[in-house]
Amino acid sequence: MFYGSWGRILEIDINKKTIRVIELPENIYDWFLGGRGLGAYFYTQYARPWDLPPLSAENPLIIATGPLTGTSAPTSGRATMTARSPLTKTIFTSNSGGLFGARLKFTGYDAVIILGKSAKPIYISINEKEIKIEDAASLWGKSTTDTTQKLKEQYTKTASVLSIGPAGENGVLFASVIADGARGFGRGGLGAVWGSKNLKALVVNGRKKPRIKAKDKLRSVLYEAHKAIKQNPVTSQALPELGTSFIMDVAYFEGALPIKNFSTNQFIGIERVGSAALQNEIMERKTSCWGCPIFCGRLSRDSDGNISEGPEFETIWALGPNLGINTLPLIQKLNRLSNEYGLDTISLGGVIAFAMEATEKGIRDFGVRFGEGEKIVDLIKKIAENRGIGQELKTGTANLAHKIGKEAEYFAINVKGMEFTGYDPRMIKGMAVCYATSNRGACHLQGGYSVGPEIFGLPRRIDPKQQIGKGTLVAKRQNDSAAEDSLIVCRFAGMSVLMENWSRILSAVTGKAYSAQTLSIIGERIYNLEKIINMKLGFSRKDDSLPPKLIEEHLGEEKIDLDTMLNEYYEFRGWNRKGIPTGTKLKELGLEEIL
Amino acid sequence: MKKIEKNIVEYFQKIGWAAYVAGLQDTHSGNMSMRIGSRMLITRRGSMLGFLNGHDIIELSLEKNDSGISLASSEVGIHRAIYKETNGLAIVHAHLINAVILSFIYKEIVPIDVEASYTIKKVPVLSFELGSGSKEMEEEIPKFLKNNKIVVIKGHGAIGLGETLEEALFYNSVLENSCKIIMGIHSLGKNPEEFTPKEINRGW
Repeated sequence: MFYGSWGRILEIDINKKTIRVIELPENIYDWFLGGRGLGAYFYTQYARPWDLPPLSAENPLIIATGPLTGTSAPTSGRATMTARSPLTKTIFTSNSGGLFGARLKFTGYDAVIILGKSAKPIYISINEKEIKIEDAASLWGKSTTDTTQKLKEQYTKTASVLSIGPAGENGVLFASVIADGARGFGRGGLGAVWGSKNLKALVVNGRKKPRIKAKDKLRSVLYEAHKAIKQNPVTSQALPELGTSFIMDVAYFEGALPIKNFSTNQFIGIERVGSAALQNEIMERKTSCWGCPIFCGRLSRDSDGNISEGPEFETIWALGPNLGINTLPLIQKLNRLSNEYGLDTISLGGVIAFAMEATEKGIRDFGVRFGEGEKIVDLIKKIAENRGIGQELKTGTANLAHKIGKEAEYFAINVKGMEFTGYDPRMIKGMAVCYATSNRGACHLQGGYSVGPEIFGLPRRIDPKQQIGKGTLVAKRQNDSAAEDSLIVCRFAGMSVLMENWSRILSAVTGKAYSAQTLSIIGERIYNLEKIINMKLGFSRKDDSLPPKLIEEHLGEEKIDLDTMLNEYYEFRGWNRKGIPTGTKLKELGLEEIL
Repeated sequence: MKKIEKNIVEYFQKIGWAAYVAGLQDTHSGNMSMRIGSRMLITRRGSMLGFLNGHDIIELSLEKNDSGISLASSEVGIHRAIYKETNGLAIVHAHLINAVILSFIYKEIVPIDVEASYTIKKVPVLSFELGSGSKEMEEEIPKFLKNNKIVVIKGHGAIGLGETLEEALFYNSVLENSCKIIMGIHSLGKNPEEFTPKEINRGW
């Protein structure tokens, strides 16, 4: 008898139109938990060859829940999506909040594996009783909000809908998949993978609650977790009262908010895009994901008077100060348009910032300069609709820079093809290791989010400018993050709810004994598995790097000694100096059998 | 969020260092704040008071939360409540070892030395179910600081209130010295209450 998870996976071949239910052995859950762990595991089982083209029919798409999904654990409504990314060419797991994860879990399946390519546009619907592959001709070309609305009208308002917009249909390499018209599996261009399969949407509508082994114990350990959330000012006051936008103010205070494509950390009008401006000028009300007591989400009004989800910190930064823009209602409009088209706002901001710098430096004229906000509306449309200059910008910063030449690659702010987020690694040294080593490119979250201890002092503070010790710290946090992404829970909850708490919650749900240490080891196994997959896809130490601009241009007196931190990182991980996991490490983690 | 002026940072550094070298704080505990008009400056969560830098002093509103709340000491709510309910302008909270020891025994600490009996008089010992950063503490502590310069929280530490940080620190220092004296009397097998100055019992 399974607890927490169902032990059942759906395999749907949209080419052959076959549907199969797989009973997954319990030991796979023991080793990989769910979510991101299952995504990596299934990639090794289904991708043949491993280095298949990301936009080919053979690229398996794995949508997974975790053992805590849909339970009463805080922030347990999340789901993950894994495939080979067309943007980074790495294995890539994206993660979304909202309601979708819980709704999928309630159908009685832990994960859905989508194989093949349909000859014409389709969508899939799943409930406890039936799974259908339906014609999506009438939805093709529609925005994510329109698609969601139509499918909810057709099914039920309580259904949860994932969909792509025109960006995914048109192969934008940073197209996202939007959950219920609001939240996003944002990063890595998985929307383009959907588009390449002619997959427009996925509707899930279940009511079957997962079984809990020890309900009384769960109540008691959840009390501890909620108490931790209430006692921490970040999760009990800053996030609920200010939303994620407070990070803008804090990052700027620390001198770590990148401005104009990481050219400076000073910005006139920063207060116009900070948390106070968001609360006072555009916010309509708070929102929350399934099972989340924090309420960090926001509904806001944009410059056209439309009300929609967001903007979150990363979006405000990417489409605001990073582009020299300090008008919040405009930023929210850009955010809404991006969501409707199904674009990752972070990569979108990154590629436009790159185009602006290229234009200002006279290297290539993209017709847009820092601060020219209104031009971005048109750029978004061109990118998503694959028109004009959008045909180039849709390939992402790294591809575009490579096409222009070495001079442009100098300021192409990406790692492994993925654009950076809103933390300058020159001022937060742990983030240099996070960005450089993350298995999915320049990611702050799967990279280990060292901002927790380095800025917020959670769980304990460490000097953000110190370099020694950061490789070790980040590696440890990456392991824990991989476990969190497999449970699946939110990184913000993790600022208060520590691995000790999660392990007790998981033990109560599953009836199996977990500790913080065992969760960390599972996370390490998942991280190493992803690393091995990436190695087989051609990645090596040379890809664990940072853009030349961030290495060569100092910010004040701050510079990055990446090599030293990388050596420490590899050493702690039991990898050799080339960044390759040793046989001993793989044996220790039991991965040699799977590989 | 604003960068804090250099002279203010140096002031906090001086008080923080003094508290640390006087043994009033362990490496990471305690916090201190100053009221500045309708705002306050407070030490950062997890900062080492003996080694403060400019980023360790956080400015935020007395009335409502702004971004500073994400970095401020987790006991910021108590500081706010004290400023709202009293006329104090500066707070130093220290984890005084000897005061904490005595807090397990006494409901109030009555100094027997001249300096403390003159300066801080009887010091109430307050007990809370949740002894750190709770709503109950926010409600109760200001009531006692209206009539006392310093209070002790059972098993936790002391909160001194003054017009300046130095004054608030001074009350902590005086209390801790007084507690050492009381402990010394105990160690000689004597009852400190026998030595309580008459003025104290008369309720100075």
